[in-house]
Amino acid sequence: MSYNFTIMSPTDTPLFTHEFGTSRSGGDGIARFTTSERSLNPFILHSALDVVEEVQWGPSTSSGSAPMYLRHIDKYANSYISCWMTGGNVRFLLLTRPRDEALGGTAGGGGVRGSLAGGRSGLAGAGQVYSPTNAATEEAVKNFFVDVYEAWVKTIMNPFFHVASGDVVKSPVFRARVAAAAKKYL
Amino acid sequence: MNPPDGAPRPPTYPSQLESMVLPKQRASPASSLASLPYRTSNPSLHKLFESTASLSGSRASSGTATPTASVVPGSVFSPGSRQNGTGTPVALPPGVSDEHRILIQRAFVPHVAVLADAETEQFIRGKGLEGGLLQLLRPFGESVPGKVTIRDSVGAGRSYDDFGVRFVGANDGLGLPLSAGRNSGLRVSTETSRDGGRVSSSSIRPRRVGGDVAQIEELVDRHLQYSEFNAHDPMPDYFDQREASAPSDSSSSPFYTLFLKRLLSGLPLVPHETFAHPVASVIAVSSQSPDPIEELRSLYSRQTTGDLRLPPWVENQYLRYYVLVDDEETGDIAKSKQTFDAMKRHFGLHCHLLRLKRQQCIPSDDDSVRLPTCEWMSASEELAEIQKRETTDDITDPTPYLPDSDVTAIKTFIRELVAQSIIPNMERHTAQWNEQVLSRRRGMAGRFMSISKRWTPFGGGRSSSSSASSNSNYDSNQGFYRNDAPEALMRKLADYSFMLRDYKLALSTYDVLRSDFNNDKAWRHYAGAVEMAALSALMPTDRLPSKTRVDSIDTWIEAASYNYTNRQQMNTPYYALRSLACSVELLRLRGGSAADDGARWSSRILELGLVGPVGSALFTERASACYVVRSGIGSMRLGSRRRKAALWSVRAAESWYRLDKALQAEKCLDTALRLYGSQADAGEVVKGLPFPEMQAFIDELRQQILGLRLANRGFDDEQNENDVEDSLVVEEATETLDTNPRIHRKSLIGAAPPLMDVGPLSPTLERGEEIKKDDQFE
Repeated sequence: MSYNFTIMSPTDTPLFTHEFGTSRSGGDGIARFTTSERSLNPFILHSALDVVEEVQWGPSTSSGSAPMYLRHIDKYANSYISCWMTGGNVRFLLLTRPRDEALGGTAGGGGVRGSLAGGRSGLAGAGQVYSPTNAATEEAVKNFFVDVYEAWVKTIMNPFFHVASGDVVKSPVFRARVAAAAKKYL
Repeated sequence: MNPPDGAPRPPTYPSQLESMVLPKQRASPASSLASLPYRTSNPSLHKLFESTASLSGSRASSGTATPTASVVPGSVFSPGSRQNGTGTPVALPPGVSDEHRILIQRAFVPHVAVLADAETEQFIRGKGLEGGLLQLLRPFGESVPGKVTIRDSVGAGRSYDDFGVRFVGANDGLGLPLSAGRNSGLRVSTETSRDGGRVSSSSIRPRRVGGDVAQIEELVDRHLQYSEFNAHDPMPDYFDQREASAPSDSSSSPFYTLFLKRLLSGLPLVPHETFAHPVASVIAVSSQSPDPIEELRSLYSRQTTGDLRLPPWVENQYLRYYVLVDDEETGDIAKSKQTFDAMKRHFGLHCHLLRLKRQQCIPSDDDSVRLPTCEWMSASEELAEIQKRETTDDITDPTPYLPDSDVTAIKTFIRELVAQSIIPNMERHTAQWNEQVLSRRRGMAGRFMSISKRWTPFGGGRSSSSSASSNSNYDSNQGFYRNDAPEALMRKLADYSFMLRDYKLALSTYDVLRSDFNNDKAWRHYAGAVEMAALSALMPTDRLPSKTRVDSIDTWIEAASYNYTNRQQMNTPYYALRSLACSVELLRLRGGSAADDGARWSSRILELGLVGPVGSALFTERASACYVVRSGIGSMRLGSRRRKAALWSVRAAESWYRLDKALQAEKCLDTALRLYGSQADAGEVVKGLPFPEMQAFIDELRQQILGLRLANRGFDDEQNENDVEDSLVVEEATETLDTNPRIHRKSLIGAAPPLMDVGPLSPTLERGEEIKKDDQFE
């Protein structure tokens, strides 16, 4: 399972990008995108914004207030996109690329246990298929986003950081926090 | 039951398909020609590629597409946004032509079998048409001259001027690999008996039956190659393109149209649909024969009981149309008239006297007319034709010419055949079946019957006599309904009304059939019924509630593609591809969220691996086109899919590049850049692509395409290679100067190459090594 976490400004430019792999079930936290996948990721993330906007402005699915966590919103080939919106219309996008064997194409790899986000519910079955709408997956992604959001709010509270003018986040502390959240939940 | 997304399976076409690929293909000199950069391009060859040649001209040819701003009043929250996907092809989104809807409409037309006696065939071959009467009639049948009026089931008449029929050989569609083994024996015997009498120039006769995706791909590839190597002086093109850069972004490439057309031509004769079953048959005899009436009888009996008899799932009592072919010059008109009168007495009204000239016509003759090219020939025929012309050095056009009077005679004949015999006959059948079969099945008793068939206690008495396994009309061992079973008649009724463009009746009939086939577990029939149900729901031009679309049509398309591909022993990817491709087109025309679905289905085509490399590039491009159609609402263009469209365009460019098709790749890349660029005009200036990685990727792709294009144009030798390198080097050196990525094509002619904008990129993303100070805010 490999992830690409990107923060998009309201003007669709990336403010922060972090790639990591799963740390669950023996994962080493290193992203394993192939070269072509890696070059395609920005395109996929960018194109997901179309759907983000639609979900954002479309009829609300939850009653009452608009949620910040938009859950799984888009899919391209084998990449799944989840989104979190901040109040300032900054979009957190998480691209998930499940391992090949978790896609259901082949029989599950022998003995390799999926991560939590990969769906713990299916642990019993050998060939567990990754499902982005799985409750456990959604919860894990949500927790990750909540942690990142906290760090993000602290970052933009910095008076020298001009989020409105599209400043890129360069703080290593922020990066470390994202990595920690990733390690903790994904 | 979504098929797994990963690991696209290779297309699994029945192995027999491979044997259908023209056997001589690889061995022929043409194959070595194909690998040469410059190919003999004689005028007659060029004619063959005309259908796609418009591309090498300018793209602006798709004229009508001037995108007008779609001004939808109100915000997204206005009711306007709720109309997503309910748009109609009448109110097409701007810049979208419904050419493909018309194409689909023209693809499903009545088939007419042609059978002639030896004398007639000889007479026509004497005129220079090797293919005999069939070759003579075929091109003219594709569009019936004048308007044709069709009455639908409620009696309202509508006129169409693009109606046509397909003339096919007496048992052309048979022996299709898709209908597998059982028929093959039959086919062999009939083929040999038919070929026995004729002088066939080559052992490989191109098949008039389509349904072979591999061949379609090969054909499109040929066309692509031709356009790559024969793109006439590309420089002016680029200037043209820049001028017309407010482009018809939804214009479809001619290659896709070609693909679709060949996909839909030469429908095979199969049990589960009756489109290719003959609606009528033309039986022709020559006036020279000693006893024409007797000759007609023997031909007729060949069809009903003899060697040309169709399998039991094809109804044999179709309309016979008797034609007396007369020689205008040497024939004795009085005698022919007499024979003709005798024919009328014997056979009734469905007779015609066709008078043709005997002598062979040459292009320089006064009133000579070129035999039109067949528009709906199958891929293998066109391939064979291309090969034939490539290998001959002859620069003259081998197409036969006809005297003007012959053309007029044939057109009159076809008009009479269609307007006075075929259509009334079909209308009559439709009305009759509608009354006798469909309404009975739909009525109270019919429902009861269908229930009682399912629950044996009720129908026990009846079922005990029939076979133990089931009491339905479906023969599950051989996989067909007999031609007189109510299901078969209803399917015929539905197909007839589809061909007569009465989509409402067709839809309701398919709907009944759907459940019947499902109960009988006749999976392929079921797939056929849901496929056509989806198409006939999408074909009409009126509004379609979004809910219906999502609820029923989507599930139908899904069911069709699933049942065509995933059932054991019935793996017919051709049909799955056909249903998906048609649905994509029709959904796209509806705009809004329907176009979204269209894009989804075309990505499904890719996931299922129904197409080869060329096809997948085409469908990737198509997905992009589907997203483009969805234009969004209001000044913010909310709900538009530009970014998605751009993504798919980039993917398409990449696939074309991998196939060495530089022109196509470049076109897609331009589309993508335009789509990315057009987001800027929402207000703030965005000069490049948002991600530096994206920009780098695109730059690199463009360089590669440029190199490929030069290579394709023959700049292979060292000096030119240096040129390429030079231009690349120069380009890199000045990389930060320019902002218009498209200008750099000028580097081809050695002008100062203006460049890609890597420089003024969007706010720089974090670049570790550049950053000396960290803003550690804590």
